[in-house]
Amino acid sequence: MSGLTIYIDFKSPASYLALKPTLQLLGEFDVETCWLPYRTSQRRLPEARPNETRGETHIRVREIARRDIHEKYAAIQGTPINFRDDPGQTDMALAALLHVSSDPTDFIAAAFRAYWLENLDLNDAKVVTGLLDQHGHDVSGFDQRALLDELDSQQIPIEELGVVDTPAYVHGGQIFIGREHMPWLRELLGA
Amino acid sequence: MHPLTSDLPLIVYIDVKSPYAFVAIAPTLALESELDMQFDWRPITLDIPSFLGSARKSKGKVVESNRSPRQWMGVKYSYKDARRYAERQGHILKGTEKIWDSSLANMGILWVMQRQRDALAAYLNAVYPAFWRRELDIEDPEVVTECLRQAGAPTEGFSTFLVDQGRAAHDELQARLHPAGVFGVPTYVVDDEILFGREHLPYVAWCLRGHKGAAPDIAYGL
Repeated sequence: MSGLTIYIDFKSPASYLALKPTLQLLGEFDVETCWLPYRTSQRRLPEARPNETRGETHIRVREIARRDIHEKYAAIQGTPINFRDDPGQTDMALAALLHVSSDPTDFIAAAFRAYWLENLDLNDAKVVTGLLDQHGHDVSGFDQRALLDELDSQQIPIEELGVVDTPAYVHGGQIFIGREHMPWLRELLGA
Repeated sequence: MHPLTSDLPLIVYIDVKSPYAFVAIAPTLALESELDMQFDWRPITLDIPSFLGSARKSKGKVVESNRSPRQWMGVKYSYKDARRYAERQGHILKGTEKIWDSSLANMGILWVMQRQRDALAAYLNAVYPAFWRRELDIEDPEVVTECLRQAGAPTEGFSTFLVDQGRAAHDELQARLHPAGVFGVPTYVVDDEILFGREHLPYVAWCLRGHKGAAPDIAYGL
């Protein structure tokens, strides 16, 4: 059976809310899993402006609705979520994912918690190496410049693969973006 | 027509030219049938170029476009994703060669809802699969009228409806959607909540069944 590759971004609310159902899925199947970073574009909630174009209105209404929906399902899941006014960047933590050589699950969960609950700066090397260290990952060879360069260099090849957002699940040549695909993924992994 | 209120338990917003609305039709009709309810189906005629750029293809090649590379990537993924679910439903979903004006076919939804509600499923099934096989010119009033005929809906007066009462109702509704928080398709309005995307159907079903047990997470049904 081919493995499962999962692309995530810590500042993506959809990635955060996919964590529990994804871990549940992985608990059901013996599948080799590779977690990889993909930098998504998250923006501040646009404010209504006079004379906005129809397209700008569409984007504003859509972004507000997306946030509301994430908060709604977070409550259903029992997953606390605190949106920031400025989503900022989480590149350092994403780059750190490339550094982790053993099971990264604990680090991933801790990084999501740090961003969504503890309001920590996941673009700060000290914060990120602290999280790695807390979860037993060796930080002695943590080369932030090299890791950030590697994160940058992987962005375009990942997009060429067809990954446009996170969470993205790649299995058997198919790409599924979003946890709403769990039924199909479950079927594929169980086949 | 207020965008968020209805005498029926669920409002369903769809657009004939949306691939995501296409793959939502079958599971939404199935839910309506299973619950023995009538939903309030309404059209949105999306202004796609305003938020996703525009493009025109000829013989499979893009001949006009003002989309960014990122918008193209998103569009390509969306079609690929909708296509695989359409295929699971036994349908063919071919990418469109242009952004269609779907307002006439969408006014057909208003017409059927007013004149012969029990023909709605047949109308949707006459329009959607054929359009997505690229067999229907939905900008031709005669083609839309033929779909009504196939569905067993009345057609007398439809051509007038398209230019007066139907057009007025359609355009008035479109203008009220964004201010109400409705922006895409499929959108479900249930219990005063606006839910965009068929991934919310498990939650919609949970609401319509009386909120029994734990509320479900989002999921695409198979």
